[in-house]
Amino acid sequence: MRALDVTRTALGNTMRSKLRTFLTVIAIVIGAFTLAVTTGLAAGVNQTIEDMVDGYGDQDQIYVMQASAMGQGEDTGPGPQEYDPDTAGQQSEFGQAMLTEEDIETIEGIDGITNVDPIFFVSPDYLEAPDGGQYLLSELGLPADASGMELVAGETPARDSMEITVPETWLAIFDDADDDYEDVDPESVLGETVELGISDMVRESHTVEAEVVGVSVQNLAGIGGSPMPSHALNDELYEIQSSGLDVEQDDAFVQAAADVEDMEAFEDSIKEALQEEGLVGLTVEDFMGIIQTVIDAIAWVLYGFAVIALIAASFGIVNTLLMSVQERTREIGLMKALGMSGGRIFGLFSMEAVMIGLLGSLIGVGGGVLTGVVANALLTGSGGPLGDVGGLILYAVSPVAILSITGLVVGIAFLAGTLPAARAAKKDPIEALRYE
Amino acid sequence: MSTPVLETENLVKVYGRGAARFDALKGLTFEIHDGESVAIVGKSGSGKSTLMHLLALLDEPTAGVVALEGRPVSQLDPKKVSRLRNETFGFVFQQFFLNANQSVLDNVTLPLKIGGWGRSQRNERGMEVLEQLEIADKAKNRATDLSGGQKQRVCIARALVNRPSVIFADEPTGNLDTATSEVVEDILFGLHRDQGITLVVVTHDEDLAGRCERRLHMQDGLIVAEEHGVITPGQLDTTFDPAQLGLEDEEDRA
Repeated sequence: MRALDVTRTALGNTMRSKLRTFLTVIAIVIGAFTLAVTTGLAAGVNQTIEDMVDGYGDQDQIYVMQASAMGQGEDTGPGPQEYDPDTAGQQSEFGQAMLTEEDIETIEGIDGITNVDPIFFVSPDYLEAPDGGQYLLSELGLPADASGMELVAGETPARDSMEITVPETWLAIFDDADDDYEDVDPESVLGETVELGISDMVRESHTVEAEVVGVSVQNLAGIGGSPMPSHALNDELYEIQSSGLDVEQDDAFVQAAADVEDMEAFEDSIKEALQEEGLVGLTVEDFMGIIQTVIDAIAWVLYGFAVIALIAASFGIVNTLLMSVQERTREIGLMKALGMSGGRIFGLFSMEAVMIGLLGSLIGVGGGVLTGVVANALLTGSGGPLGDVGGLILYAVSPVAILSITGLVVGIAFLAGTLPAARAAKKDPIEALRYE
Repeated sequence: MSTPVLETENLVKVYGRGAARFDALKGLTFEIHDGESVAIVGKSGSGKSTLMHLLALLDEPTAGVVALEGRPVSQLDPKKVSRLRNETFGFVFQQFFLNANQSVLDNVTLPLKIGGWGRSQRNERGMEVLEQLEIADKAKNRATDLSGGQKQRVCIARALVNRPSVIFADEPTGNLDTATSEVVEDILFGLHRDQGITLVVVTHDEDLAGRCERRLHMQDGLIVAEEHGVITPGQLDTTFDPAQLGLEDEEDRA
């Protein structure tokens, strides 16, 4: 018997008792569907995270903080800890250990690090537009993130100039005529001067002038969603914010962003050097890796459930085919008498199992992909409940995953078919023809 | 006569062991010549079916040899035996064994499908035999829609489709009424006479056995008598008239 005829006959045989085949297939569909949805979901969310990592731009930055702030280092634990006047006062408002100027210098001394920018948070009061209108400004971007910013016009603020970028959504403040920021030409606001109002420690208000050099859009990482000052402007604002009291206070920083010359070459040595100093360095990928690990773990649990469903379904195949072999004893006997070898009989019945598996995986994977794509469009599309989360992908179609799921299901179906097929192949033609 | 197409030497078949031991065949040696028609006659339990199964290579003897065209086949690899069966034998069974859910043509071409023929070739050959047996108009019908006589004609067509050198018929008329039986017999002996196909018939029907050139009478696993010559050939009309077959069924329906 030719392979094509085996396939065609097997397909014909599975279609013979449609209801039985249908019921067997349903079980497989459930498993394949779950696998298709889960892989797509994991692929989609991981894709989103990768986009976010890309959103941070330069991957050659390492974020440094005190090891104890990350729950690492020696002096942590639930019990009381000894008081050390050197480190006391170097805690943020939340009790987090902070970096000192000294630490910054140490970091600068590590091989492979070209520049260290301490990260401090500045809280200005308002931004004054050229026409005099004042707008609440509670949040400023971190200059260290500037490299990842997406601009629709102009450029990122130069390090040493008093410059600032504004988000696209703020454009309307430069133009009284237009209420909708989308009608304002981003190029037209470049070169405008804005004033930033900030209070010092005795609540006295100061202003600083800055030139608008760029217009940003918020990316997945959230960068570009608020005005971003240059390093110089940020430093100036910080000076004002922490002045006013006649007390000399040591500067302390939650963390510092260090530029690395060559991440691949220096990453490990830098992290080691930092550890010796009681510091911890994390790259953007490290941050995202933690999230990805969690997502992968959830995905694997779901894969596990899907595979359990498939294994249960495979017993359905065994059962269906055993019944079929029993019912078709005479037919098998006839085929054997007419010269069909046991091997071909085996091939015919395992092909029927493969057909059931193929049918189930086509429907299941097809349904899963369709559901995923539609749900993704409904949930994350404009107007959907998750539509506000910019750039979020809930479901990504992965051809490799689709092919491997189909392969897996067909493989399981084939394995399930071997028992009934072997039974059919072993039938004695004489006994089979005598069978009533 | 020409070379023996099938020969056996001291053929023994034993079922079971010890107390349950049953000697179905107790050492048979005989020959069947090319173009001969042989009837194996005997009561049930005499071993005639066992003998046919061994001759048709469906079963292996406990001892002894079956040779096909001078070559012993008992020791051949099962795959080769399957192939030999597919290419040189045709089978007609008492219970027809037609696939109910397939068309007549598909049933008839099953041996060719197993033999690995291409679809168009085997359909062409299938139609040829169906025409030869004058049931080509039923080719697309389901096998279950046919009358008993028509079914057996389809079975004969299936047995003929691979141009076999030997046709084994196991009680071919056992399920048919007298008139239909006669027509089926006419077809079988017509083929035997016109195409020189060797015919091995297993039956307990004396009329059918009488039309064979040779009869082997079996009893308790042994050939107890052997008769030559066709009995009362003048009484029987061996002209093959396929139009007769199935007529009575249609009359019944009308």
